[in-house]
Amino acid sequence: MDYILEVKGITKIFPGVVALDNVDFDLKKGEVHALLGENGAGKSTLIKIISGVHRADKGTILYMGKPVSFNSPTEAMKAGIATIHQELNLFEDLTVAENIFVGSIEGFLVSKRKLINVADELLRKLNFNIKANSVVKDLNTSEKQLVSIAKALFLNSNVIIMDEPTATITEHETNILFNIIRDLKKRGISIIFISHRLEEVFEIADRVTVLRDGKLVGTVDVNSTSRQELISMMVGRKISDMYPKYNVLKEKEVFSIEGLNIGRMVRNVSFNVKEGEIFGIAGLVGSGKSEIALGIYGYMPAKWKQMKVAGKTIDKIKSPDQALKEGIAMVPEDRKTMGLVLELDVMKNIVLQNVKEVENAGVINWRRAQKMASEEVEKYSIKVSSIKQKVKTLSGGNQQKVVLAKVLRKAPKVIFMVEPTRGIDVGAKVDVYKIVNNLANAGIGVVFISSELPEIVRLCDRVMVMHRGRSMGILEGAGITQENILKLATGVDVK
Amino acid sequence: MSWKAILRKMREYPAIVGFVGIVIFFAVLSDRFFTLSNFLIILRQVSIQAIIAFGMTIVIISGGIDLSVGSILAFSAVVLAGFLKSGSVFVAILMALLVGAAMGAANGFIIAKGKIQPFIVTLATMAIGRSLTLVYTQGMPITGFPRSFRFIGRGDIAGVPVPIVIMLSLFALMWFILHNTKLGLYSYAIGGNETAAKLSGVKVDRYKVVIYMISGVLSAVSGIILTARLNSAQPTFGVGYELDAIAAVVLGGASLAGGKGNILGTLFGALIMGTLNNGLNILNISPFYQQAVKGIIILIAVLLEREN
Repeated sequence: MDYILEVKGITKIFPGVVALDNVDFDLKKGEVHALLGENGAGKSTLIKIISGVHRADKGTILYMGKPVSFNSPTEAMKAGIATIHQELNLFEDLTVAENIFVGSIEGFLVSKRKLINVADELLRKLNFNIKANSVVKDLNTSEKQLVSIAKALFLNSNVIIMDEPTATITEHETNILFNIIRDLKKRGISIIFISHRLEEVFEIADRVTVLRDGKLVGTVDVNSTSRQELISMMVGRKISDMYPKYNVLKEKEVFSIEGLNIGRMVRNVSFNVKEGEIFGIAGLVGSGKSEIALGIYGYMPAKWKQMKVAGKTIDKIKSPDQALKEGIAMVPEDRKTMGLVLELDVMKNIVLQNVKEVENAGVINWRRAQKMASEEVEKYSIKVSSIKQKVKTLSGGNQQKVVLAKVLRKAPKVIFMVEPTRGIDVGAKVDVYKIVNNLANAGIGVVFISSELPEIVRLCDRVMVMHRGRSMGILEGAGITQENILKLATGVDVK
Repeated sequence: MSWKAILRKMREYPAIVGFVGIVIFFAVLSDRFFTLSNFLIILRQVSIQAIIAFGMTIVIISGGIDLSVGSILAFSAVVLAGFLKSGSVFVAILMALLVGAAMGAANGFIIAKGKIQPFIVTLATMAIGRSLTLVYTQGMPITGFPRSFRFIGRGDIAGVPVPIVIMLSLFALMWFILHNTKLGLYSYAIGGNETAAKLSGVKVDRYKVVIYMISGVLSAVSGIILTARLNSAQPTFGVGYELDAIAAVVLGGASLAGGKGNILGTLFGALIMGTLNNGLNILNISPFYQQAVKGIIILIAVLLEREN
C-alpha cells in the first residue's frame, strides 16, 4: 500500500453551489502533490474536507487504508494530517516553544525551560534556524511558517497540507522552504501543496491535480506535462498569450519624483513615468516598493525634493483625497483589507470612490449610481448575480475587478498598481494585463509594482529595482530579465 | 409575498419579529396591555431613549461607540434650564443644541485626530460632561419653566404626544441620511473598512466629527424633551442611558464591529426595551427582575443573529 491518502468520489454542496462534484484525489507516501485550480475551483473545499473542517456530502476518504471521517481539524491533526494555513494560526504573543507544544501539554504546571529545551532540540534536528524562546510576533512570515511546520512534525504528522505557503514570502525564503519540503519528503512525509505559481509546481511537485468548477480535470506527472497544458487544464481553454502587450510609448513625461523619502523604508528614490508607459517597480518583500505608492498617494507620511504630475509641481500630499484630485490613483496591495468594504455590495463599493458623479448636495441619486455600477460591471465583465451582491461573496479575481472599476472610473493621470494580480486566477490575471495595457494606450502613466517577476518582465517598458529602501537602478529593453532583477533585488550590481 | 420572501425579511429585521412576539406575549397575558392608549404611553416613554439610540446607530455603524450620550443629555438639559430662567425659549433650545453639537464634535475631533479608541475618549468625556453638569447646577435641580416650553414634553399634536412626533420625524431624517446621503454611505464604509474608505478618498476624520456631532445633537434633543416633560432639569439626568441606547442598536441588528446596522432595527430595538418595561409593570412583575429579563432578551437576540 503506497497510498497514504485516497479520496474517492467526494461531493460537497453548499447552499446554491456544488463546491466539489465527485472528485478523486490520492497521495503517495513521501510525495509532493500540487493542487491547482482557479479561485473557486474547489481546492480549499477539498483540503477543508481532508482536514476535518467540512464534512463531505458523498464519497469516502481512506487514510492509511482505513476509511476516516474527521469531525474537526484537531481530530485530523491528532491522526497525523496537519494543515498550514495561509494565515498561519499562531499565537503571536507566545514563544516558538509554546506555539509548538500548545494543545499537547498534559497536566497543569509547565516548566518553561523544559519546553524551550525540547523545542530547541526539535528545531536543531530539523535544521530550522529559529530560537525556541523567540516570541512569534518578532519573526517574519517565513520563520512563522517554519514554526507551523515544526509543530506539525512534533505531532508526528504523515500528511502536511500547505495552503499557498509562498504567497507572502520572498524568493529566497521560498528556496529555504523548498529545501525543507525536500527534506520532509526524504522522511517519508507526504505534502499537499497549493499554489498559484506554476513555476513552483514544476520546481517542487511530483504530481499535479487540477480542479475546475468543482470537478476533477485530471492528475498528471510533473515530468510529463507542460506549463501550457496545465494552464489550459485550469482555465479550460488555451491562453495563447498570457501577456498581451500593445502599448505605444509616448515621449511626454506625465509624472516625476526626485528624492523621495518615506521614514526608513524608502530612501532618496527618483524616477519618472511617461505618458503611455508601463513603469515597473520590483523588489523583495520589505524592499520599500509598496511604500512608494502609499507615500505618494498620501496614505503614509512622505517627503520629496520635487514631484510633478502632468507638469504641475506638487509640494505635499496630505491625504488620498488630495492625491485623487491631483490625478494620482492607486490600486492597493490587498483588496480585502485596503481595497474593498467587504460588507457592502458591488454598487456601493464602486460609488464609494465616485460619489461626486452621482450626488447632489450630499444626496445620492441611486438610479444614477445603479447605472454607473452596471456600466462598470459590464465594462470589466465582472461576474455578479446583481450589482447588489456583497463583494465578500465574489471570487478573488472579480473582487480585484471591482477595485479596478472603482479606481479607474475617473481617469487618473498616473496610476500606481500594487500587486494587482496577487492571489487571482490565471484568467483574471490576463484580464488585468489587458486593462493595464488599455490604460497605457489611453496615455495614462502606469506604475506597476509586483513581486511576480514573469509579469514584470513581460509587461513593463522600464523596471526600477528596489533593495532595502533604495533604488538599485532602472532596467530597460533587453536588460529587463528575471536574472537581472533578482540580482539587483538582492543587492548585487548588474555589470 | 411568498413565504420565503417573508422569512427573508424577518431575518433582515429580527427586532421587528422580536417586538411582535413580545406584544403577542403581553397581549395574551393582560387585557390592559393591547390598547391604543397604552401604545401611546409606550411610544412616549420610548421616544427619549430612541432618539439617543438613533445617534448611537450612526456612530456604531461607523465603527465607533459613544458612551458620553447620557452626560451630553444632562449638560445640555441644565444649560437649557439656565437659559430658560433668563431668556427666551428659542435661545435656550438653540443653546442646548449647540452644547450637544459642540460636545459631540469634540468627541469626534479627539477620536479622529488623536487616533484614540472611541470607547476611551467617550468614557473620558462622559465623566467630564457629568462633572460640568454638577458644577453648573451645584448639584441642584433647576425647575419651573414656561408653559410654551413644557408643550414639547407634554403637549399633543392632533392627539399624538409631541415627543412621539419629534421622535418619528428624527427617525425619518436619520433613515434618509443613512440610506440616501453621502454621509450615510461613508458611515457604513468607515465602519466596514476604514482603510479602504480613506484610500477611496473619503475624508474620514471630517466625517467622524460629523457623526459624533449628530450623536451629540440627538442627545441634546432628548435632554430638551426630558426637561420639558418633567418641568425640571436634573444633574443626574441620563445616567446609564448609553447602555440602553447600545442595547437598542444591537437588538436592531447592528454589529459593534461596525459596518452594519439600520435605523428601523434600532427603533424596534428601543420599542422592545420600552415594551418590556411597560408589560412587566402591567403584569406586576417586581422591578428587581426587569433588568434580568432585558439582559436575557439581549443575549437571545445576539445569539439568534449569530445563527445567520
